[in-house]
Amino acid sequence: MDFRPSPAQQILISTARAFLRQHCPPELAQRLAADERGFDETLWRRMAELGWPGLLIPPELGGSGGSVLDVILLVEEMGRAGLPGPFVTSAVVATSLLLAAGSAAQQKRLLPSLAAGERVASLAIVEESGSFDLDAVALECAIPGRLRGRKLFVKDAHVADDLLVAVRVGAAASLILVPTDRPGVARLPLDAISGEKLFEVTFDGVEVRPDDRLGSSGSVREVLASALRAGALARTAEMVGGAQRVLELAVEHAKTRVQGGRPIGGYQAIQHSCADLVRDVDASRALLYAAAWKLAEGLPAEADAALAKAYAGEACLAVARRGHQILGAISYCEEHPLHLIHKRIQAASLEFGDGQLHLETVARAIGLVSEASFPPSEAMTFPPGTP
Amino acid sequence: MNFDFSEAEQAFAEEVRRFLRANPLETFPVDGMDAGYGSGANSRAFLKALGAQGWLSMCWPTTYGGREQPMFMKLVLMEELALAGAPFGPLAGCWQTADAIIEYGTERLRREVLPAIARGEATFWQGYSEPDAGSDLLALKTEARRDGDHYLLSGHKIWSSHAGIATCGLVFARTSRESRRSRGFSMFVVPNGTPGMDIRPIRSLTGEVYHHEVFLDDVRVPVDLMLGPEGEGFQALLNGLDADRFWGRFYKAPALARVLRQLVDYANTTGGSAPLSRDPVVRRRLAAIAADIAALRLIFYRTGCLIRDGAPLTYETAMAKVYADETGQKLARLGMDLLGVWGPLRESSRWAKLGGQISHLYLTTLGHTIAGGTAEILRTSIAVRGLGLPAEPRAAAEPKAR
Repeated sequence: MDFRPSPAQQILISTARAFLRQHCPPELAQRLAADERGFDETLWRRMAELGWPGLLIPPELGGSGGSVLDVILLVEEMGRAGLPGPFVTSAVVATSLLLAAGSAAQQKRLLPSLAAGERVASLAIVEESGSFDLDAVALECAIPGRLRGRKLFVKDAHVADDLLVAVRVGAAASLILVPTDRPGVARLPLDAISGEKLFEVTFDGVEVRPDDRLGSSGSVREVLASALRAGALARTAEMVGGAQRVLELAVEHAKTRVQGGRPIGGYQAIQHSCADLVRDVDASRALLYAAAWKLAEGLPAEADAALAKAYAGEACLAVARRGHQILGAISYCEEHPLHLIHKRIQAASLEFGDGQLHLETVARAIGLVSEASFPPSEAMTFPPGTP
Repeated sequence: MNFDFSEAEQAFAEEVRRFLRANPLETFPVDGMDAGYGSGANSRAFLKALGAQGWLSMCWPTTYGGREQPMFMKLVLMEELALAGAPFGPLAGCWQTADAIIEYGTERLRREVLPAIARGEATFWQGYSEPDAGSDLLALKTEARRDGDHYLLSGHKIWSSHAGIATCGLVFARTSRESRRSRGFSMFVVPNGTPGMDIRPIRSLTGEVYHHEVFLDDVRVPVDLMLGPEGEGFQALLNGLDADRFWGRFYKAPALARVLRQLVDYANTTGGSAPLSRDPVVRRRLAAIAADIAALRLIFYRTGCLIRDGAPLTYETAMAKVYADETGQKLARLGMDLLGVWGPLRESSRWAKLGGQISHLYLTTLGHTIAGGTAEILRTSIAVRGLGLPAEPRAAAEPKAR
């Protein structure tokens, strides 16, 4: 057993940390959150020069062939810096879908430009049920045919060139690739506290061609579930990075803020709060790394990913709330970085499944039966990893 | 990164499971109660069986009869035993005492005590706390006066676990008055039955006896049963307490996983018109604590890796202990909620569910956030040692020695 990132991963982490400190200071994150478009092309291009959007893409398609674990470590740093934008949506989830289910032609057409950061793809999954559960996808589509209906909470749709839309073709869960400039596609912004750019996307008789379909005629349910799992873990990494930053801000403040003649970190009430932040961050990170490692090794990781996302959602949000309490009134100001990290953690805890959805996956994995549930898809032992 | 066990570790885990299959747990008589930490009851017979396998000394240097196995083998052994619910209560204490003797014990301790530990014949109680020295351990009053080749120990120790059935005490006493608060303490290995030692049971709120108080009245201890250099016992004690937080709680995650499995079975098969497992609140609470247990296990393995690699530890064992104890309390409460009116029934009672073990867990875990460093002391330690926050000034300055 070894919890340490490899030397190459350590370089990735330190490069990312230094780059983001320089190019994504809290003021920029705050400005982009407040800005309606909120997308910094220069920053995105610089990230592309570092090869980040192509991290999961094999070298022959223009990427660098990294693992899910590499991506998780990178996204953790992005979360720490509060970097906004479509990285997780485009470079993790959409890219994973194209890699797993795209035809050779689709891959050749899209992946090199995604790797180069010249193209951005987003995901249209959630509908009015508000759920990331694939069983909740009801939008029907005939292929070929015309798509009519709407999707909600589509992230960064305004800068996306392509949308991967989850639909039903008959009973089968399917995915179609819809360019955002195709007639009939409209993007209507939602206004969320996180400053993340979310959209309602409406399809008004949008033409769907046979070669827009991802994957063969069967269900892409497994492929989709697996990509959403990677997305859930990436957003978990963002939460862990964000919570780590909150911990650092809180400890720094506790050491320097003097009241009653000594730093407030000298009072046990503050000390004990800070101690709990460490536990929440460490435990979330341990679950995250274990799940990401399993995913990267090709081991069954459904329950591990669900555990990590559900746990970190609770724990990292608790860190953010407690961080406000430790930092006091100053953290209530817009110019202070804490609130944006807090809102990001909040947003991340919901995307690709909230705690409730993931805990239900865990409930099945530990063997709890229910009328509606099927036997666990994989035998899972508890604690995970034990024989 | 790698979250898997090595081939050797997997093979050893399989060996332990084979041993457990071949030696049913019911065949081992129990001598002392299960205190809920996860290492089960105290069973001399089981400890001797582990000794016969060579597992008690497997990580020691060959000079002392060991096989120099990597330290992770101990983790593998404890996890398998805890998952099976085996009665290995004194094991961690034996290992820690052996490690201290190997590191700074006298020839006599190495010659006499180590082989007894290896055979599973020696177990130890800790004589640290006193009635007026709990969290402020250095306020202790027990004294050891030198008298030729002996020390004479006098004082009053309390909260010593299973002192009545152990073979030796590890008694922490003042050997001299020094200006520095943390100096002048020494540790002694004191065989039970030494004249002047009076061990009295303390019946706990569980109705059973786990703790004892020990009165020492001029107990004669040979000089070569002192563990470590005279007057330097405090650092050894700190190391010991730090290790205790890790080794004395490592098995909690697998033990809680075992209880969780039983609660899942209970929820699947019990309920009014429908099994409890169909209640979404029950599902969510059990799933959430499964996440806690999984995280707890990883926190301990991460700390284990740091210990294995010789990396410096600041807050890790303190954090792991607090998390373990609070997760145990959380699971016990959830178990009581799930069992409802059946929850409080004792093991011996008609209608007791799950062998009455949930009420026992509920009561024993109450003490875990107090024993071995309170949750408050440990949170302060995490903040001060781990995060570098300033220590609170001591309330009253000690009178300075002149």
